[in-house]
Amino acid sequence: MTMKPSTNSLCTPDEHQVSRRQLLGMTAAAGALGLGGLGGLVNPLIADDMKSKEKQVLFIWIDGGMSQLESWDPKPNTQFGGPFRSIPTSIPGIHLSELMPRTASIMHKLALDRGVSTFDNSHSAGVPRINRGDPKDRGVVYPYFGSAVANLMGPGDSGLPPYVWVKPGSGGFKYQDAGFLGPKYGALAIGEGEAPPNILLPGQFDDDSNNERNALRKFANKQYKSQRPPTFSEAQDFVYDTAQALMQRRSLFDDPDPADVERYGDTPLGRDMLIGRKMIEAGVRFVKVNSYGWDTHGDNFNGHASLMPRFDQAFTAVVEDLDQRGMLDHVLVIAMSEFGRTPRINGHIGRDHWPEAWSIAMTGTGIKQGAMIGETNEQGTWVTSEPHDIGHFFHTWFNALGIDSEHTEYINDGQPLPIANDDCTPIRELLA
Amino acid sequence: MFYCVNLLSWLLSEPHYYTRMHLCTSCKLNVMKSFITYILALTLCLPSFAYGQEQQLHQFIDQQIADATSRPLAQPSTDAEFLRRIYLDLVGQIPTALEAEQFIGDSSRAKRAKLIDTLLADPRYTRRMTEFFNVMLMERRGADDNWERFLRTSFENNTSWDQLVRDIVSPDTSNEDSRGSAYFLTKRLEKYGQNPTDFPGLARDIGRMFLGMDLACAQCHDHLFIDDYKQADFQGLFAFINNSFIRRDTDFPAIGMQPVKAKLEFNSVFEEGAFSTGPKLPGLTEIPIPEFVAGEEFAIEPNKETKAPGVPKFNPLDYLAKQLPATTNESFNLNAANRIWFLMMGRGLVHPLDLHHSDNPASHPDLLTHMANEFAAHNYNIKWLIREIALSDTYQRTSVVSDGLADAKPKEFRIFHEKPMSAEQLMWSMLAATGQLNLLSADDNSSATADPEAEEEPLLLGLDDIRTDFLAAFANPPREPETDFAPSVRGALFVLNGPRVLSWIPAQPGNLAERLNQQSANYANTLYLAVLSRHPTAVEQDHFDSFISNHPDKTAAIEQAIWALLASNEFAINH
Repeated sequence: MTMKPSTNSLCTPDEHQVSRRQLLGMTAAAGALGLGGLGGLVNPLIADDMKSKEKQVLFIWIDGGMSQLESWDPKPNTQFGGPFRSIPTSIPGIHLSELMPRTASIMHKLALDRGVSTFDNSHSAGVPRINRGDPKDRGVVYPYFGSAVANLMGPGDSGLPPYVWVKPGSGGFKYQDAGFLGPKYGALAIGEGEAPPNILLPGQFDDDSNNERNALRKFANKQYKSQRPPTFSEAQDFVYDTAQALMQRRSLFDDPDPADVERYGDTPLGRDMLIGRKMIEAGVRFVKVNSYGWDTHGDNFNGHASLMPRFDQAFTAVVEDLDQRGMLDHVLVIAMSEFGRTPRINGHIGRDHWPEAWSIAMTGTGIKQGAMIGETNEQGTWVTSEPHDIGHFFHTWFNALGIDSEHTEYINDGQPLPIANDDCTPIRELLA
Repeated sequence: MFYCVNLLSWLLSEPHYYTRMHLCTSCKLNVMKSFITYILALTLCLPSFAYGQEQQLHQFIDQQIADATSRPLAQPSTDAEFLRRIYLDLVGQIPTALEAEQFIGDSSRAKRAKLIDTLLADPRYTRRMTEFFNVMLMERRGADDNWERFLRTSFENNTSWDQLVRDIVSPDTSNEDSRGSAYFLTKRLEKYGQNPTDFPGLARDIGRMFLGMDLACAQCHDHLFIDDYKQADFQGLFAFINNSFIRRDTDFPAIGMQPVKAKLEFNSVFEEGAFSTGPKLPGLTEIPIPEFVAGEEFAIEPNKETKAPGVPKFNPLDYLAKQLPATTNESFNLNAANRIWFLMMGRGLVHPLDLHHSDNPASHPDLLTHMANEFAAHNYNIKWLIREIALSDTYQRTSVVSDGLADAKPKEFRIFHEKPMSAEQLMWSMLAATGQLNLLSADDNSSATADPEAEEEPLLLGLDDIRTDFLAAFANPPREPETDFAPSVRGALFVLNGPRVLSWIPAQPGNLAERLNQQSANYANTLYLAVLSRHPTAVEQDHFDSFISNHPDKTAAIEQAIWALLASNEFAINH
């Protein structure tokens, strides 16, 4: 989606300031830059850069904290290593936990940083902090990564909302992620694999009668618009067009192909990862796939023995699918939690929160496949390489998406705000 | 707080931001500037005030709007345009087809003024104002029966704006009708999510709602971009409420107050030194905090048995109730007039409504000042001010763009600018347009005889569920003002596919579809009067009449046509 100056004489630039108070998940801003269609959702600062770059993001959020020791950074036969062995991967010298054999087989397709070191060790502070890229506190609420990408890159040509969140539990329009960008950059949440409310055409309509009533509606709208300034009408038309684009893609919510279910796993994460892939294929700019239940303060090892295979299967399947379809060229894939888990095993045979030393995996557009960087000490307690905070990753990912993170700013009510923590820089070793 | 220092150093490191910076070194100059502006404003207002004695306010409005521009003003609205607008603004729903037909056909010259008075006396005026001010003051934080009762009673009695605000900032627990006003305070002191009790948010909202000043960014330092907003202003407001708490011993919203023993101390992240303030409104004098011997702070001691908290001898809210809604409080008057102007015009003379300061002056400063003064002089009579605005040519202009008006800016008020419709206005209007409203009422009448109280307050069957659906589809998220037009995909899906509205369309005894089914011609006229409150144009008449006449399934065609107009932009916008 490109930015064009308005050609309509009823639109003058000073009336086109986007209010950050525009409401609701996926709203159209009346007067937002005066454009019909989707233009109002694109940050004008980089809109031209984005032209013809249809990059997308699949963001896999493992809520509660995946144990790095039972996954990306195993330390078998050490004081805190736990009962699981490590296994070799497709990259010589790199080992993963035995709980993720499928991932091990595609390791050369991935990039891994084992030197992640962040700060907040509580969920309540850690989840938003990590999701916002730990911006410096400038008195505003920063957007989550998905809302940031939705704002910076716009919705693309799919006609679908730019930020879709596939998750267990409730669906709906989740505006909270958007922070100061305003609710329209919030997420359209798909809960339990179910379509958003009222997305299905009711039984009394077929395609013909649906087209018939909408043709009448458009006739009426044309009469009205011909006499009025265009901004309100365009905003209304935009939300109806988007709603109908969603309805057109209702097959995204159809029962999945049994063969796919077999490969992704008949689990909530398998189901959601599959919907996530379909959303990416349908052109959604940013898809967050959410897995809950990883906060294993008690019985960590049985917990991960049960959770890890579900992740391993779904994650491997989606990376392989995107790879086979040639989509890793333009899709950035990230798998991460809000923090890692303590090397020390507590009295409940669990591991607690450990932001000091953990791992993040990624692949896809802009990322150097096979890059294995970062190190922890022998017991896995501390990072021995240069530690990387979440701010470094936001810079890295923005750059992987073609956004110059060090020179791009949001403008919020006249206040310029850097899009990523300005004490941090991109991690060049991870970038292709 | 060092992050704010980071902000400062970051701002300073970018030379082009200097222009936006108004730090404390320059404050003296700025205070001078504000003072001169104030004197100038006063001088300018004097003649107009004198002139206002001979002129009614609505005439003054039109003169001020006309004098401020050399460009053309829009023509008067058609009767149909005016009718729909005034119904939506004063009673919160569109007129019925019959009301529309009668008004459009009425040839008496004074019919607009007459309609305004009729609607101001209509019981639905109370409902509309209750809904409007609930949304404005609570910003969709939730619902409370006591609060609703306070608003309803206030608008039923046309309680003056100053009394309404007095009730809100200093609720009288002994008055069952008004004590729900405490909800404004208590709801904001409720914890939500994992956030701490938001005292600063409450102080901010008192400033926003009743003074037109959003002092949020002046909490830790003088506002960076707004010269007029000082940290001391925020802290002075904060000192009124930072010792308040939600009472837990009542079954209605009620606010308690801890004894205030000392001034509030604060630091600036930019300036060295420690500061302190007692309760103080911007531009007014600080309220001294009396000293009491330890143990004698309470007028009424806390009661351990009833768990009633003590009543301190010194309650800052009592002073807030005296100082805030006072005729001498200029900001209070300006904000009140501006918000009622917004209610009618869809945009404040000061806009955004809560950012009144010298760099964001009113589009028509003399008009706002005069209107504020007159409002105070008329004892803050809300109906009076609404009536005057409704009577003005400015309110009654068309929203149709014609020659010379394509460049009209909202702040000029040369043309009537489209306004969003609230979830409630959409709900009542869709109920009215389809005829479903009568069906709900009919259901109610059958049960009303059994319940004598129902006569006073007709309970519409199923209304709560309907309202829930409409709020879910069209209302803002909590804590977001509903001032801008921002339609949503969720709302579009609700209209496109939601069973709620679709189920109101098919023919039932007495509804619109049934009336159309009984006709054999002129469908468009019935349809347009019922849904869009006007006669169709020739093109529209031809289009819809031939659509229905030529359709193989007339019943289906009628339903399609009703839906299309309900889903149309003309219906969804107040124009």
